[in-house]
Amino acid sequence: MDATTHLPRGRSTLGRGEALWGYLFIAAPLLGFLIFSAFPLLVSLFLSFTSYDLATAPRWIGTENWSRMLSVTMARVPPMTDEATGETLFRCGRETVTESRIGEFAGQTDLRGNPITCAPRLMALSDVLPSGYETVYNLSLFGNDYVLAARDPIFWISLFNTAFMLIAIPISMALALLIALALNQKIQGARFFRTLFYLPTILPIAALALVWLWILNPDYGLLNFFLKAIGLSELGSTNWLQNAYTVKPALIIMAVWRGFGYQMVIFLAGLQGVNRTLYEAAEIDGAGTWAKFRYVTWPALTPTTFFLFITSLIGALQIFQEPQIMTQGQPYFSSTMTVMVIWQNAFRDLQMGYAATQAWLLGGITMVLTVINFVLSRRWVFYD
Amino acid sequence: MTSQQLNIRVQTATTEVLGPRQREILFKIFAYALLITFALAILLPFFWMLSTAFKEERGLFVLPPQWIPNPVTFANFEKVLTPTPQANIPRAFVNSLFVALTTTLGEVFISTLAGFAFARIRFPGRQQFFGLLLVTMMIPGVVTLVPSFILFKELGWLRTLAPLIVPVLFGTAFAVFLSRQYFATLPQELEEAGKIDGANMFQIYLLIFLPLAKPIIATLFVLGFIARWNDYLGPLIYLSGGKPDTFTVPLALASLQGAYTLEWTTLMAGATLALLPIVILFFVFQRYFIESIAITGIKG
Repeated sequence: MDATTHLPRGRSTLGRGEALWGYLFIAAPLLGFLIFSAFPLLVSLFLSFTSYDLATAPRWIGTENWSRMLSVTMARVPPMTDEATGETLFRCGRETVTESRIGEFAGQTDLRGNPITCAPRLMALSDVLPSGYETVYNLSLFGNDYVLAARDPIFWISLFNTAFMLIAIPISMALALLIALALNQKIQGARFFRTLFYLPTILPIAALALVWLWILNPDYGLLNFFLKAIGLSELGSTNWLQNAYTVKPALIIMAVWRGFGYQMVIFLAGLQGVNRTLYEAAEIDGAGTWAKFRYVTWPALTPTTFFLFITSLIGALQIFQEPQIMTQGQPYFSSTMTVMVIWQNAFRDLQMGYAATQAWLLGGITMVLTVINFVLSRRWVFYD
Repeated sequence: MTSQQLNIRVQTATTEVLGPRQREILFKIFAYALLITFALAILLPFFWMLSTAFKEERGLFVLPPQWIPNPVTFANFEKVLTPTPQANIPRAFVNSLFVALTTTLGEVFISTLAGFAFARIRFPGRQQFFGLLLVTMMIPGVVTLVPSFILFKELGWLRTLAPLIVPVLFGTAFAVFLSRQYFATLPQELEEAGKIDGANMFQIYLLIFLPLAKPIIATLFVLGFIARWNDYLGPLIYLSGGKPDTFTVPLALASLQGAYTLEWTTLMAGATLALLPIVILFFVFQRYFIESIAITGIKG
């Protein structure tokens, strides 16, 4: 390569020497790509067809991992019937009776004085579901009882939980847009506000998770203190992170608090790119504030909105740290997210093959979203 | 002003009796109210964290909460900085700084070099190789998690900092991409001048292009440092089960939670310390932060 430093030289030698420099300069990233991305990607795919516990060599098991992961079924859970008469069986209090005897319990109370209620006695799930399936979710529709079951219920529950967390995206984007619009009004201290709102998005989640654990503390936390102070004493007694109904909303509040600043800054950049003359033209046409937003600002922000939506989606699907530190997925798996399940399968249960399968599914969804974003952003984003 | 008067003002404003000037003022009032409300919502958790960190533990469980600690104590910081069998915070700071600095410096050097090559040197396959690198940006980390773990286990690197450092030293696709976009905007005459002076491509990169790339270097440095400082999943996978002396700050914080359950004063002191380097970095490099968002968000 020293040849290129000698002068004088012909044009062709210069070109060839330059090309060598080029290859040399890009060698490390390309090698890194092969070792740390392309190769693991393929190994991961291979592992998804094996059973591998790190101790013994991977054993080929075909599509078993994929079938275990994807097997879901829904079954109706019928009421049991009396073998002799074929009548539907009911459970009233602690007794099982045929339908015709329900009337006997009218007006009766149990030992504690509560009225006895009757409900159809349902068949045991083991009689309804194929073997190896466990309940993901019970639901009642039009008077019938159904059970959604899967071979790996935790995985499906985690997918549901992760999907539930996506609620944070529209909330935080709407908020981000509102604040960006406010900041765009020649506000005193706009820089201060922008800086402040952006700050939480770059701070270590591990530290913020501890802070929020304390804020969400049921007895002495800041959130419940405020809720009680404004008169919501019942809501203010919630044990946010140990209640299956409130743990995800609590995580969503934290996600919005932490994340809207990034979206706000991007919206702000988008707003500054809107063509001023369009507003002037709209004003001449007599457009009010709302009309200007609806017909000028909002259409101009479409690419920004779409970009933010997809990137937020990609980010939200990878949620791991907050629930891992704050709840460990509890209570009753109600805050168990998909990446947590993958992590547990791989590094706690040493089911490397199965974890790789789940990672491929989540990664596949993510990759599709990334490609959509990439293709579309090329179409409407200008590199200048 | 009575509420009735206010009511009338709002009514007249909405019925557009007031001119656009007054309406603008009304909007501004609304905007300020909104901004101040959310500024408080962002600030309060931090204030709460600081207030707790400087409190004595008995000041913790009182209602209404004690906003300003009385007495102010530094004992929580002393406690959290004292190594225990579960966590060694001072050591974690050294580890995190070491990882964040080495990886980021390496990443910036290697990536700008490659970005320079992709933007300014002609060689066969340039487009294809660049496309290949763009593909890397689309591979989600979760897919490569298991194989990477196996790779580092085979190399005997588990429970060391190497798995957190070495891959980044090969440069990252993202950084290559950003620096290529940047170098592509610089004028053509730059390398011509270098070539006439007999400089080789590395000299042209080092002496002409790198000094011009300060904004992009600062941006990459800031982004890289934050990503490495905040990383939790990597340390969790590669360092868990090892000695606390090898932990990075986020992992040490998480294990602090186990060591000092419900000792909020100690935990908040730990959280404060963990946030501090990023907050300082943020205020020193503020300009580049906003620039980095503009670059990565809108153009990337």
